[in-house]
Amino acid sequence: MRNIIKLFTIASFLFSQTGLAQKKAQVLSPRGKKTNAQTKGAPSGSSSKSQLKAALEMVNNGQYEGAANAFFSLSRKPELQEEKPQIKYMLGNMLIRLKLYQTAAFQFVDVIRLNHPKYSKLAITKLAVVADVLGDDTILNYAISRVDVNDIPVENRDMIHYRLGEIRNRNHEFDKAIELFQRISPASSYYYQAQYSKALAELEANHPDQAIATLNKMIEARGHASITDTNKVEAQLALGRAYYQKKSWEESVEAYSKVPRDTLMWHDAVFEQSWAMLRAARFRSVLSNFQSLHSAYYEKFYMPESLLLRAIVYLYICKYDEMEKVLDLFETTYGPMRAKVRDFLHNSNDAMSAYSQVNLAYMQLKGLEGKPNLQVPYIALKYVLDQGDVKRSIRYLDKLVQEKNRIEGSSSLRASSVGQYALKIILNRSSNTKMSIGEMARTHLEAMNADLRDLYEQSGFIRYEMINGRKENVKKKMAGKDIVENQIDEKMNRQFYVQNGYEYYPFQGEYWLDEIGNYHYLGKQSCE
Amino acid sequence: MLKNIIKAGSVIICALLLQRTSFAAETVELPTEELATESVLPVFDVPVSVKNRNIVTEKRWNTDLLYSYSMTEPIANVSKFGLAVYYNFSEDSALGFLFAKNASGLSSYADQLRSQYSLDFSRAPQPLSTYMVDYNIKAFYGKMSLAKSIVLNTSMHGSLAGGITQYSHKSFPVIALGVGQKFYINKAWALRFDMRLYAGQAPIPFLNGFMRTTDPTPPVASQFDERITFSTSLDAGLSYLF
Repeated sequence: MRNIIKLFTIASFLFSQTGLAQKKAQVLSPRGKKTNAQTKGAPSGSSSKSQLKAALEMVNNGQYEGAANAFFSLSRKPELQEEKPQIKYMLGNMLIRLKLYQTAAFQFVDVIRLNHPKYSKLAITKLAVVADVLGDDTILNYAISRVDVNDIPVENRDMIHYRLGEIRNRNHEFDKAIELFQRISPASSYYYQAQYSKALAELEANHPDQAIATLNKMIEARGHASITDTNKVEAQLALGRAYYQKKSWEESVEAYSKVPRDTLMWHDAVFEQSWAMLRAARFRSVLSNFQSLHSAYYEKFYMPESLLLRAIVYLYICKYDEMEKVLDLFETTYGPMRAKVRDFLHNSNDAMSAYSQVNLAYMQLKGLEGKPNLQVPYIALKYVLDQGDVKRSIRYLDKLVQEKNRIEGSSSLRASSVGQYALKIILNRSSNTKMSIGEMARTHLEAMNADLRDLYEQSGFIRYEMINGRKENVKKKMAGKDIVENQIDEKMNRQFYVQNGYEYYPFQGEYWLDEIGNYHYLGKQSCE
Repeated sequence: MLKNIIKAGSVIICALLLQRTSFAAETVELPTEELATESVLPVFDVPVSVKNRNIVTEKRWNTDLLYSYSMTEPIANVSKFGLAVYYNFSEDSALGFLFAKNASGLSSYADQLRSQYSLDFSRAPQPLSTYMVDYNIKAFYGKMSLAKSIVLNTSMHGSLAGGITQYSHKSFPVIALGVGQKFYINKAWALRFDMRLYAGQAPIPFLNGFMRTTDPTPPVASQFDERITFSTSLDAGLSYLF
């Protein structure tokens, strides 16, 4: 890689020096004694040339920091205006070597704007690569929107196809996205991501059968990978969703149950599986899942819908007492939270205050801060932190922090003009990113507020149904038709469970990590 | 005789029949995909092995009544009765004060020596009591199920104690290292078992020419040599959590 860069640098500067020579030839043209005078009076051209030579020498010697400084100072010289695209391009390359990706990206953007016939195309490719490392969607979109795939070197084409596909997906052009994802070769490191995104696009385009086929193919292709392989598990989870979309409830339940427990996706799988079970009228199974999902392990998870779902299941099986408990829990948990979120949105309009809340929650999540004084409940902020756009932006912000630390960690780089310039860029980008995270957070909190308002309304309806059900029960009791409320496990001893191959512990309110996901509801329905 | 054989035989046959009946449980139909197939744990941001625990000890006091049996004591009485008070700083550590009073008299082995060889070890200084500061590290909290309606929470701990053993004439420093286990009967009461290894300075209860019942002059306590001795004890007791 290092050799390639050196070769490229030399080739680039041959061109660069030709440019300078041409300039010099122009200066020495017979058109002017004036030009001779200029040469004598202003030796900046030759000085610049020697500086370029020196910079080139530094590149060859692997002195990237020195070269970056030299290119940076050369890029500001007005007499090298014509060579500016090359110099900026080289500066970008040196900054990549120094792992200062954000600052490098700015150089490539400058080159693209200069619209140089050769270097602008090269810069687009480089910018796409740098943006991919940074995970910065803004830069990536900027680069990708200007790219002509045919100009891109073969080794980067899969990445460009993948990113273009993502953009198409975001723009709801699903068929075009699918077509782009299909172009990615199986040998590419983007292949599985592309297959996954293709399946998502197929689902969005309402082709669940195609999506199921894509996901099954992907799972099969990842058969050799470990059980917790992210690609495989994501595909398995998406398969459950695809079957759900297809309204194949039993297949959906089965697909969800194959998501391994020791992955973060398992929590989503359990919750979504509960919906599939409800649709398949497997009420006992839904309640088994909820025993886990409503345990103390999930007290920091935002899951208001699951409580209402549980209440609905209790309504189906006429368990009005349990139903009331769940509805009360919903109101005591999400009532104050809704009020706080609403107050926050009402009292603070700026994005930075939302960012500071998100940041405090992030610090708490990472264990960097104990229990900060939050205006918005931690559960709500954790939910915001789990959203894809916020996650991506925080990851990008982390990259900026790393870059800043890299500069500040090197005394020579920090003191150099390019270092100071990079710090300014990073500061500016950090500030903008924080602002956009704040805006995203506000948007999510507003959606949450609206969501909770709707759920509260639904909770009211469910409570009404509960009262109605109770009334009917009382009527039946008065008519002597009430049923005895025996529980299934009342007459069974431990031996019964042991013999059937199940561990059995009476639940006493204590939740153990190894029991999560293994609870089984053994009650029966109380409807006549 | 024959009557007894018939009675015993019928009891055995009944027991066997009843056992067969009790094992003939019906099959529970749980969907296979809902049964546990993995022994791995779910992943959380902050992995905690137990939540909403039944036994919360943090920032609480507990007091223990204990009986201690010295397994390697040859001469003195092997029994001690004690009282301990602990303060639990967290779910992981506790610091307490332990007092144990030795039972009077000698061990059965010492009694045997007296009857067979006329050796009177009551002439040697005997330990009277022990005072120790005991630090406990609570390593494992768990639970066990013995029957359908009984679930016992358990807690295993390591202990490091230091203090003095009081003899009739003098006090000697002692340290003890041990492991223990608590079985919680309910949220307050627990059975506590400890095994400790003691190391401490102590008088050696052998003094030539003074220990036989026939020796005219009983020894003075200061005549006995002193050295580091090791002993192990098994403690059993009842603990109450306030």
